This record gives sequence, C-alpha cells and structure tokens, in this order.
Amino acid sequence: MEHPAIRINDVNKIYRGSGGKEVQALTNINLDVKNSEFISIIGPSGCGKSTLLRILANLDQPTSGKIDWAKSADHIGFVFQDSVLLPWKTVYQNAKFPLEVKKMDSKENLANLDKLLELAGLKGFENAYPRELSGGMKQRVSIVRALSYNPDVLLMDEPFGALDALTRDKMGIELMRIWNETKKTILFVTHSIAESVFLSDRVIVMSPRPGKIDEVMDIDLPRPRTVTVKETPEFTTYVKKLREVLG
Amino acid sequence: MNKVRTVGEYVFAIGLLVLVWQLYIVWFDVPAYILPTPKDVGVAFYEMLVRENVLFHFSVTSGEVLAGFVLGTLLGYLIGYLIGKVKVIEDALMPYILLAQTAPKIALAPLFVIWFGLGLVSKLVLIISMVFFPVMLGAVFGLKSITYNMKCLMQITGLNWWQRIFQVELPHSLPQIFAGLKVGMVQAVIAAIVAEWISGENGLGFLLIYNSTTYNSPMLFATIIYTILIGVIFYALISLLENRLLFWHDSKQIKS
Repeated sequence: MEHPAIRINDVNKIYRGSGGKEVQALTNINLDVKNSEFISIIGPSGCGKSTLLRILANLDQPTSGKIDWAKSADHIGFVFQDSVLLPWKTVYQNAKFPLEVKKMDSKENLANLDKLLELAGLKGFENAYPRELSGGMKQRVSIVRALSYNPDVLLMDEPFGALDALTRDKMGIELMRIWNETKKTILFVTHSIAESVFLSDRVIVMSPRPGKIDEVMDIDLPRPRTVTVKETPEFTTYVKKLREVLG
Repeated sequence: MNKVRTVGEYVFAIGLLVLVWQLYIVWFDVPAYILPTPKDVGVAFYEMLVRENVLFHFSVTSGEVLAGFVLGTLLGYLIGYLIGKVKVIEDALMPYILLAQTAPKIALAPLFVIWFGLGLVSKLVLIISMVFFPVMLGAVFGLKSITYNMKCLMQITGLNWWQRIFQVELPHSLPQIFAGLKVGMVQAVIAAIVAEWISGENGLGFLLIYNSTTYNSPMLFATIIYTILIGVIFYALISLLENRLLFWHDSKQIKS
C-alpha cells in the first residue's frame, strides 16, 4: 500500500478547563489520509474537529499519540473561516505574503502564483484591496495565499461558513476545480452535510464529549463532479445516511 | 471644488472673528493694553517677522516639539509593545502607568527643572511624558485587537518577530497610534510652551512671558498666533502622514 500523506495515530487531547476540570476534546483518533485525497470532517459544535485541524497545523500539541507525515509537517496551508487578509495589502500582495515571508519569491513560484490567481478567478483583481471585495472573493484570495508556497496538505476550517448559501455552493465548485488542478491533499471541516458529500472522497463523522470518530464514509460518486450530481439518488442517499449517523 | 469651499469657510470664519473683535473694541471703548485692535496685532505679527527674531524662537519651540514628539512616540510604541506582548510586564507596569497618566503632567514641570536643570532636557522630558501615554495606549490596544486567527496565520506562515512587527503588528496598530498622536500633538505644544515659561531664555513660551511682563499686548497676541500656527502645522503634518499610511482603513472610506 502507498504510504499515507498523513497518519494520525491514537491521538488524544485533554484540555484543562476553568476550575482545573479536565475536558477530553479528542479520544483515540486514528486516520490515514491518502495523497491527493479530499476528506471532510463533519460533526456538531464541540466534537473536536477544529481541535484536530489545529493539531495537524501544529498550532496545538496532542496530549498523547502522534502524527506521521509523508513529507514535512511544516508543509501545510491553512484556510480559516474568515479570510484574515491584511487590509493594507492588495489582493496580489496578500496572496504573495507567505512567499515574501519565507523568501521564496522566485520567478517560478511567482509564475505559479499567477496561475493560481487565474484558477481562482482573481485575474483582473490583483490590485484591488480587501475592502473592495465580496466575502467569496476574499476567501478565494485566502485559498490562493494558502496554496502560494505549494504545500502538500491544505487544512480548511469551515472556510465557507461565513458565506451566504449561493456563494457557498459556487465556492464549493471553485474549490473542486482548484483541487482537480493542484491535486492537494485536503482536510475540510464543515457543518454542511451536502457540502461534505459533494466535495469529498471520504467523510469523517465526529461526535462530542468526548470527541471521537463515529463513522468514516466513502463517497463513491464519479469525478469530476458537477452541480447535477446533487440531483442523483446516490447523492441523496449519502446525505440521508450521514444525517442518520449525526442523529 | 470641495477644497476651495473648505478654505472659503475658514477665511469667512476668521474674517467674522476679526470683524466682531474690531466692533467690540470700538463700541465698548476697550483700552489697547487689554485688547489691541486686529490691525495692531497684524502689525506686531509682521514686525516680529521682519525686525524681531521671531523665526528663531518659532524654530526653537518647533524643534523641541518635534524632537520630544519623535522620542515620545518611539518610547510609547516600544513600551506599549512590551506591555501588549508580555503579560508580566503589563501586570507590573500598569498600576504605575495609570497613576502617571492620570496625574496632571504639567504639575511635574517644576520637578523636572530640579531634576534635569533649566536646559533642553527638562523640556524634552515634559514633552515626551505628554506624547508617551496616548501613543503607548494606542500601541497596546492595536496589538490586542489582532484576531486569534491572524495570530495563527502568522505562526503557520512562519513570520519571525521582525516580520511580525513590521508586516502585521505595527500596521495593524497604526489607526490607534494615530489617534494617540493627535491627542499627544496638542499636549506636546502645551508642554513646550509651559516648559519655556519656567526655564526659557528663548522660544515662543519665553516671548509670551516677556510680552506679558512688558504689557506689550499686540506682541503678546501675535505670539499667541505664532503658537497656534505651530499646533496647526504639526496637526496638518500628522493628518497628511495619516492619510498616506491609513488609506486602507475604514475611517478613510467615508465618501459622499
């Protein structure tokens, strides 16, 4: 078997809450993520899905267990629920920001950045400032920024959670296109069942108190997927099954 | 077009003031040593410019304000940054800072003279103490308003502390710092004038006292106008800089 891009091994996370009370945020999480796989993590608030993502991003340490990376653990891109753009920088400067910080702004990387901007439909907006953009556009810039230094893995924490339903659907399709072109491994945290089925190869269902994996569901829908896939009976079945698991 | 209108409004407002001033003197027969006529003040203003050495005093005071202002801003940001970053420093310094901030710093001026002498140093210390607090508070609030996600992004992107300051934290604090600078600016001019009253042998503060003790009301009024000019010029410079640096901020987006 091919070596997984990420192997999550028995990861536990215990927080010490207020008053010294211990809170088990994650319990025995085991998961192999394949290269170029699109995985969604879904579950109610407090199920630990964001905690898992933060641990993968090295923003937090697991209490026990470990995470093996095929390549480097530093090589991740992160997309937040809000776009966290720097308001004094243009679209282009924001997207280029990591390259500049990492001193990786080689000709090759900059050419790649141009391609990403085009892929995300941001051509012609390079000199616009964040305040001039819609929520969806800002989020595209933050996706391009996360991909600018060509990370192996993209971690996305409810990236479309703050967008309206129409924009959200469009962004899902955009993300599919970007994923098709770049072949990144993506871990995508969401609240939306339909979104997770539409986007993913596998959907991980988590439940709270203590946060653990309840179900791993393979989504066997043909790729590339278009909007019409949402009208197929298979799609509806997956959504129904997931809804049952989530209770 | 708008600029022309604004300038017009100012000219009108000042013209009206001068008119009321003149009429008041004529109608109530006010003696010149209490309130000189606008014309006398105008003449004095001009005489000071061409005969007396007012430009020297003007530049002495401006120089003090500028130097104290720059030093106070740097020091304010530095301490504000440390307070915003290190909890221990915040806990240790905050009580003293609140105490010092609420104290009327003008009251410290005579003390500074004892400590630092009659020269430039005591003046600078007074001006710095005026600018320091508003800038420091601006730096602290600016730092604290950086969102959690932004901090995560900086960590993931791998910014070193230098990049953190100059790429994110300082620009992010600029709106609050400029608000602090504008408050500090007014205070700095007051501090410079008061310091010159006490210890001055030159500067506009010294001229004010000199003209007052010699009952030269027209010159006194003219000197007041020169001090107002310092305030206006510095305020305009700060606004200019602010518009340049904060073009991206919401406060600059108010359009018709």
